[in-house]
Amino acid sequence: MLKLNALLRDREGKSCELIEVLQDVQSAYNYLPEQVLRAVSAKLEVPLIEVFRVANFYKAFTLKPRGKHLLTVCMGTACHVRGAPKFLDEVLSQLNVSPGETTGDGEFTVETVNCLGACALGPIVVLDGKYYDHMTTGKLRNLIQAARKKSPKKRKKIKSNAQTTIC
Amino acid sequence: MLKLQSVREFKAFQVKRAEKEERLTTVILSSGTCGQAGGSLNIAEAFKKELKNRRLAKKIRLRITGCHGFCEQEPLLVIEPENIFYCRIKPKDVPEIVSGTLKQNKIIDRLLYSDPASKKKVAYERDIPFYKAQDRAVLGQNKLVDPCDINDYIAIGGYSALIKALTSMQPEEVIEEIKKSGLRGRGGGGFPTGMKWEFCRRAEGRPKYVVCNADEGDPGAYMDRSVLEGNPHAIIEGMLIGAYAIGAEHGYIYVRNEYPLAVEHSKIAIQQAEELGLIGENILGTDFSFDIKIARGGGAFICGESSALMASLAGLVGEPRPKDIHTTERGFMDLPTNLNNVETWANVPAIINNGASWFASKGTAASKGTKIFALTGKIRNTGLVEVPMGITLREIIYNIGGGGSNGKKIKAVQTGGPSGGCLPERLFHLPVDFEALTEAGSMVGSGGMVVMDEATCMVDVAKYFLKFLIDESCGKCVPCRIGLSRMLEIINDITEGKGTEEKLALLEDTAQTVALASLCALGKTAPNPVLSTIKYFRPEYEAHIEKKKCPAGVCRQLIHYSIDKTKCKSCGACFRACPHNAILVKAKIYNIIDENCQKCGICKEACKFQAVAVS
Amino acid sequence: MQEYVTLTIDGAKVRAPHETSVLDAALNYNICIPHLCHLQGITPLGACRLCIVEVVKDGKSKVTASCTLEVEEGMVIRAHTEKIIRARKNIAEMLVAEAPNSRAMQDIAVRCGVKKVRYPFRNENCVLCGRCVRVCSEIWQSKSLGFVGRGNHRHVALPFDKRPESCKRCNYCIDICPMTITPCPGPIKKGNEALCALCESQLSMAHNIVDSCVDCRLGEGFNCARKVSVNTI
Repeated sequence: MLKLNALLRDREGKSCELIEVLQDVQSAYNYLPEQVLRAVSAKLEVPLIEVFRVANFYKAFTLKPRGKHLLTVCMGTACHVRGAPKFLDEVLSQLNVSPGETTGDGEFTVETVNCLGACALGPIVVLDGKYYDHMTTGKLRNLIQAARKKSPKKRKKIKSNAQTTIC
Repeated sequence: MLKLQSVREFKAFQVKRAEKEERLTTVILSSGTCGQAGGSLNIAEAFKKELKNRRLAKKIRLRITGCHGFCEQEPLLVIEPENIFYCRIKPKDVPEIVSGTLKQNKIIDRLLYSDPASKKKVAYERDIPFYKAQDRAVLGQNKLVDPCDINDYIAIGGYSALIKALTSMQPEEVIEEIKKSGLRGRGGGGFPTGMKWEFCRRAEGRPKYVVCNADEGDPGAYMDRSVLEGNPHAIIEGMLIGAYAIGAEHGYIYVRNEYPLAVEHSKIAIQQAEELGLIGENILGTDFSFDIKIARGGGAFICGESSALMASLAGLVGEPRPKDIHTTERGFMDLPTNLNNVETWANVPAIINNGASWFASKGTAASKGTKIFALTGKIRNTGLVEVPMGITLREIIYNIGGGGSNGKKIKAVQTGGPSGGCLPERLFHLPVDFEALTEAGSMVGSGGMVVMDEATCMVDVAKYFLKFLIDESCGKCVPCRIGLSRMLEIINDITEGKGTEEKLALLEDTAQTVALASLCALGKTAPNPVLSTIKYFRPEYEAHIEKKKCPAGVCRQLIHYSIDKTKCKSCGACFRACPHNAILVKAKIYNIIDENCQKCGICKEACKFQAVAVS
Repeated sequence: MQEYVTLTIDGAKVRAPHETSVLDAALNYNICIPHLCHLQGITPLGACRLCIVEVVKDGKSKVTASCTLEVEEGMVIRAHTEKIIRARKNIAEMLVAEAPNSRAMQDIAVRCGVKKVRYPFRNENCVLCGRCVRVCSEIWQSKSLGFVGRGNHRHVALPFDKRPESCKRCNYCIDICPMTITPCPGPIKKGNEALCALCESQLSMAHNIVDSCVDCRLGEGFNCARKVSVNTI
């Protein structure tokens, strides 16, 4: 609970700061746990349904735990025109998940973003905060494999052993 | 940093800073998000090390700046005062640059820009065609400042406009000046800025707010990111001037979640300005008090809409409200709020310093000044270009952009993001200004310009934008939520070979309703990509409907992948690359299995012999 | 002392207290402007867009929802221009295609002149009119329900899909829902997708009776106007 107390310090009744607080929670826990949201609702004096609405509205927030690696594929116009859609095929083949999903072993979460604003570098993929420019499906394959340190084209779904712990 | 207590102290401080700008040789390294992705930070480290080792750290200054705009050539640097331009550099080039160019004035040929038109190398930045046709009133400042050091900004005259306004102009005079300049909103709305400020000034309610909209969500547009990352003080100064003119006490810069560097640089800039006494209570000993905070978006395009943004600032979901009562009267917390785009704010200090007529001398009758455009897509010179309003599309795309990439013929340009439209090549003579583009069925919008060639399917482009808007719609109102999804149903049918003339008519009908009846500008402008592509590229739609063909070879259900035996070398690259198990090999003969083939194009990319044919 | 303003709606001079919506002003004068998400006494949402009107000012007209538009002295409103009627009909068509088995949606469709539905039918239980949400929040001060999710994922939900402590179990959300009004006697059968026209037959009766309206059941609980001009359909 220490993490949570630190996040909520000095925030009593500050309903305006809800989004900021949720961003801190997302960073700290890698998702928004239900218990934490209930605590936020109480401390900031925002009705629980409003907290729930905000948590579901913004793409930055997830209510399910994210995987160890976050792979984001940019689907902006410039990247689209340069062939970004086929990266989703590659991702599906390598990780067997669609955007928004996390692999069964909790290793990768795949997301799309509607433009990163680095269009000259397109098509772009971001892995764990690092930008990879001028992607091709070949480069993407290597990137995923390197992150995974496993043999290529492994498509078996591994049983989930993800746990959720708070604080 | 010591806090400055008066205007006099500031002026003395500014003189000192300007003096410090001796004729030191400066290596200016472009290091915005793009530069960093290209490895500029490593290059910076290499320079620091090399300069230290060579004991040149005191003689040569390294300035790490934001984007210079010539993104296709990143990582790049300029050496002043010689104005030497090196591009596509790597950390291993650094020692040679230091020993060769910096110490011995030798120009390294292989690092120079090669102009495809003249086929010659260009040594100096001022001679590069990409820059020559531009008027970099705003973006040009990025080169002159390290965004993380307020001293740089002050040394080039930063905050003088604020001083001028505070000491020699009444708030109403500031508003008059902005009105006379003809500055119009640079975020897409194009609303006359001076008039907006005036409405907000006249509105009742306290306290008043000024907001900077840095939620730049248009895919393909990144001008605001570049200005905010590279020169945050220009925006801060603009907001201070605006707040003074309107009578506002608090400010927010709302930055979208996907721009972490812009958030970081803005925070540093605000902090440094506060320390110096340029933000806070009784600024420089005057009656004017103002504070600025940064707010981060949560990943929602709709939060670029002013009422949705203000809802988000208040910690709510970003749902727009009807704008029968403007946000200048009832905005953030139902109080008078003046919201302007990043680029709009960045233009303000220069207008106050140089005067309204200076600004109004550029551009066309109704669209004054310069505008930054993000030129991307199938174009040779991808990057940010700042040009006077009224320049033609052709000049931007060919003279500055260098024409199509990959040698293919340019077919269209998409301007204005998802609210804009696609204009065909035959309309490239049109001047880029608010009225002309809107009349043609598109709009200037925030400044995104995506160039498309023969390999782009315009029906697919319409589909792309519809999907984007459906993803980002808040879902409150029926025409947008339901109407757009019905439009997508029809476009999907068309791209899958199930289109009919009737469905096309229904598509247009639905589009009219969505445009007329939606609650906010997202819905109202959502049909533009569809309507403009139908207007200008109807033959493509008809090919999909009548002939069940996709002329550009994009729509997956209408194309067929096969392997050309005459070109196939049996290397197996396609087989290894295929993610859908759609390639069969029997006795070294490779074939594509139609049932499994998803037409993703990965095999085509993998084949080095162009043996994969698309029909 | 309440201040009154005078405005013109469809040519008729209407007096309304200031701070009323144009829609309320019209309904009080029996000028029927179709609506769905509007509910008397509740903050307007402006979500269904059925009540759109043209506001004419300085020769220019703007289209906006009348439920969220506050009356102003001298305002000129046109609720039944060709443009508006066409858009309204299309919106009603979209709504009935979403929820064809809802009597309320069928009534609205007929009222707005929909004869043929050109979109493939879906079968939604909720049209997101927001009455339940607003009634819970404003009348019962309970704030237990809300719109959750963006775009096509938008739906009415309880927080974490669990009934919160603030819920007073008043059931008002169910009572006020337009989808639970008497289900249509002739639900649309798959393969036979067409409006049954039962409502339309009532419509033709109304044409002959002066001062009456289609008894579209919408009136119950919707505070609908009681007079409709024959020329507007």
